[in-house]
Amino acid sequence: MSVNASDNQKHAAPDPWDIGFGAVIFVASLAAIFVWFPNDMRGGFFFVNPIGKTEPGDAFFPTLLAATLALLSGLQLFLSLTRGSPPVSPGAQGHLTKDNIRFLILFTAICVGGLLIMYLLGPAAAWVMRSFGVIDVEYRYLTDTAPYKYLGYVTGGFLMTVSLIGWTEGRLRRVSIISVLTVIVVSIIIFDQLLTNVLLPPNADY
Amino acid sequence: MELVLEYVMRGIADVFTASDGSLDWMPLIMVFAGLIVGIIVGATPGLNGPFAMALSLPVLIWVFGVSDDALLPILGFLIGLMKGATVGGAVPAILFNTPGTPDAYLTTLDGHPMALNGQGPKALKVSHFSSVCGDTFSDMALFLTAPVLAVLIESVLDLPEKAALIILSLSFMAAVAGSAPLKGLMIGVLGMLLALMGSTLSGNGPRMTFGIPELGNGLPLSSAILGVLIVGEVFIGIEDAARHRLAKLKPVQNKAYGDNRFRWADIKTIMPVICSSSLIGTVIGALPGIGTTLAATLGYDFAKRFSKKPERYGTGIPEGVAATEAANSSVSGANLIPVMSLGIPGNFAAVFIILAVESVGDFTLGPQVFRFTEIKEIEGYGTIINKDLVIAFAMFTLMVIANAFNWTVGGVLMRSLGVLARIPKSIMLPVVLLITLTAVYAQDGGFVAIWVVMVFGLIGYVLRRLDISILPFVIGFLLSPRLEELIRGGYSASGGDPLFLVKSPIALAFLVMAVLILFFANPARRKA
Repeated sequence: MSVNASDNQKHAAPDPWDIGFGAVIFVASLAAIFVWFPNDMRGGFFFVNPIGKTEPGDAFFPTLLAATLALLSGLQLFLSLTRGSPPVSPGAQGHLTKDNIRFLILFTAICVGGLLIMYLLGPAAAWVMRSFGVIDVEYRYLTDTAPYKYLGYVTGGFLMTVSLIGWTEGRLRRVSIISVLTVIVVSIIIFDQLLTNVLLPPNADY
Repeated sequence: MELVLEYVMRGIADVFTASDGSLDWMPLIMVFAGLIVGIIVGATPGLNGPFAMALSLPVLIWVFGVSDDALLPILGFLIGLMKGATVGGAVPAILFNTPGTPDAYLTTLDGHPMALNGQGPKALKVSHFSSVCGDTFSDMALFLTAPVLAVLIESVLDLPEKAALIILSLSFMAAVAGSAPLKGLMIGVLGMLLALMGSTLSGNGPRMTFGIPELGNGLPLSSAILGVLIVGEVFIGIEDAARHRLAKLKPVQNKAYGDNRFRWADIKTIMPVICSSSLIGTVIGALPGIGTTLAATLGYDFAKRFSKKPERYGTGIPEGVAATEAANSSVSGANLIPVMSLGIPGNFAAVFIILAVESVGDFTLGPQVFRFTEIKEIEGYGTIINKDLVIAFAMFTLMVIANAFNWTVGGVLMRSLGVLARIPKSIMLPVVLLITLTAVYAQDGGFVAIWVVMVFGLIGYVLRRLDISILPFVIGFLLSPRLEELIRGGYSASGGDPLFLVKSPIALAFLVMAVLILFFANPARRKA
């Protein structure tokens, strides 16, 4: 009996993830209505058209949506606080664990690191070469010149992908490296050679 | 009736004719290519149909351009891919007990025991036959119901009703596609809000961009959808793979011996199961937001419940494979019913069909397509005809062609792809991430697209971990501009009446249904 009562109490207790989810979206939607939209939209809630008729403006629909979101999140918050979370069974409610957060941080670090190398390596190499007088132009003039145009994509893409595979498998195998290199070469053939008017990352940004 | 036939014939002819009147085999070739790629993708763990559709769309647009002539080859490839992936998904489930998708899990229940009993090739034949039967059945349902439904809707619904219908669809998806309907709806509205960044209807310059000039044209649509759908899934897959060290899984014994022929007697045995599962899958598929997993579960349960020997299910019998494969494959055609008749996508594959249609040519999906305008030749002017309707029938023709290819070569190819199931997810997923990032960069021409993919991938990851369905988010994101047009148009047309949405009885009924669906789908209430 006491076990059941304890289970029921546990089940009925408000779930912090439910409350947090509702609270974050509630605050964000109010901030959107009162801070974001007024400062980030030239058109108002209504405007008067050339024949003098009042029409809905650019802020009309976003404000309606944000208000709906505030209402729904307020309801979610209210239900979570008053009735407890409504999971189908205790523990069924999804949430982020510490392991998930740890994964996200490491995953994001690997991806952002690889992407930054992809973005910066080509221009950096061009800058070094220019400093030594090997070339006399900036990277923007080399975005269609090998090897500069491949440098960032190949190095950044390779490091990011191989790191993720190595992390996932807990080891680095030759087959992983060969697979990634093959995919990079095929991508270069498709996106750089076969398709015209298309540039590999990061060349379109320079 | 004559007019309908005329449009059907023109639709069929459109597939084989270029705009200059010459014979054009390209749509046919692209259907075949799409089917082959789809089967390969489906047979590869970690890949799925919507992912391949997402990646191939930009490549197809570069190859064929965005003119009206490009539409049918591109749609042909996507349709072939969608059907091929459905068939190919059974390969890893049967041979290696590794369901690539949740619905394929049920195929493992009988398919893998068959493989362990030396009947792997037969299980694949049963799976292919049932899958193509289910797919063909649901296509027939699509061809018959979509035009009727569309004509009905177009004659009854005006701006407020159409707006209310989108709200009802979103509520329905939120209610059925996740464990928390209220949160699903909130996420759907959030998706709608994010889709409004950049774009404006009044020409007052971009809105909601945080002053970032690159967002002036709005968030790149395909990058955002790819991020939340595909990259979010890749995040989850990599985390799971890292946690369980999937690369170290032992290979499964899988050798064929004994009689693996697929005979008429087998067809007679599984046919009743295929019929019931196809019907269940088609009905489920026609409702937006309900996925193949429920169809496969219901199809399998139904077959088992009405079997004379239910205890044999799960031990490795062809009926078990047929029940799940016919059910999950019959969802794919029926899923296009809400797309063709309402312009509302019901699943992820339909999202990419809509994206293709919106990116290429000037064809738009929705009830307005099925206007049977009288065909008139006017001298010096040309032909008055509803071109959209011709394209719709051309699309149906492409589906029939895809089915024909699937019946003939699909099975042979599918049975030869067992080796792909050995590719470890631990390699596949990071590679998928790199290809996705490369493709979105090439499509949108800037690193902003890559950051958008990553941020939306993060959103997709968090939503999945919080057990909130991402379908309402994606559908909300996609339908938001249309809903804004309808709401603003409806408000203006009503003379500025703030209650315009509830003054129409039909719109009011839709809105009440939306609320009731959410109320009755509430888990707490279901438990009670």
